[in-house]
Amino acid sequence: MADLSIQVRELDGVSIIEPSGFINAHTVRQFETALEGLVKEEHYNILLQCINLNYISSAGLGAIMGQIEVVRENGGDIVLSNLQENVFAIFDTLGFTQLYKVFDIEADAILSFNKPDGQEVG
Amino acid sequence: MLFCLSINQMGKKLARIFDSGNFRLVIPSQTRYLNLVTNLAKRASVAAGLSDSDAAKVSIAVDEAVTNIILHAYQNDPEKSVEVELRFSPSSMEIHLLHTGQGLRDDQVRLPDPNEYVKHPRKGGLGLLLMSRFMDEVRFMEYGGRSECCMIKHLG
Repeated sequence: MADLSIQVRELDGVSIIEPSGFINAHTVRQFETALEGLVKEEHYNILLQCINLNYISSAGLGAIMGQIEVVRENGGDIVLSNLQENVFAIFDTLGFTQLYKVFDIEADAILSFNKPDGQEVG
Repeated sequence: MLFCLSINQMGKKLARIFDSGNFRLVIPSQTRYLNLVTNLAKRASVAAGLSDSDAAKVSIAVDEAVTNIILHAYQNDPEKSVEVELRFSPSSMEIHLLHTGQGLRDDQVRLPDPNEYVKHPRKGGLGLLLMSRFMDEVRFMEYGGRSECCMIKHLG
């Protein structure tokens, strides 16, 4: 089994990245390429669907940090859903749960882009 | 001496190590081996009595520490090697990572302040923070021409 595979799909105007496996220094370039690809194509409403993400190291968090500014400058956001316990612990320990919206399920994350409450409107 | 063990081989090996108290693995300085080392750390943690949740945190700390050695101490030189040694006692599990690259000393470590980080996000420094948060002790030292990162998790 590959260390990381990534699926990208669209739903209700939101680009969903679903990584399966591990994001660490060995696989981060693959993840970064997928994320950068969306931003280059001007997809700024991005959901990181983590249901099959076994862990993410600081290398992966850096890849998200590398895109968040341009995404938010363009009125979009990167939000997270379906985090496994240890993945949530990583985000929470580093304060990323204050920087990014985290949802229990994908449907709520998708809906958040369509709420008329300001910057996260898609 | 270089060991490359499959996960199943590792599991069998781990079942035997607690009597002897130590386990040693040497990997090439390449990120492709990260998964092998983190799996070893996770399985050893569970075998030592840690919960799945704590074992996952130990494996992340090991990932970060070995990545730092490969990327920073060795600057991606794939010909170098990293020695991983696990030491067990009734009260703790110690993970010793030894290398011959440019090491850190305790007095050089500067952890980012998470509150400050949230206000001014940037890349870098997060690995050390994860290591310090997920392990009970993290120490850096140099001796005999080698550098070491020692991480300790208390048991029970």
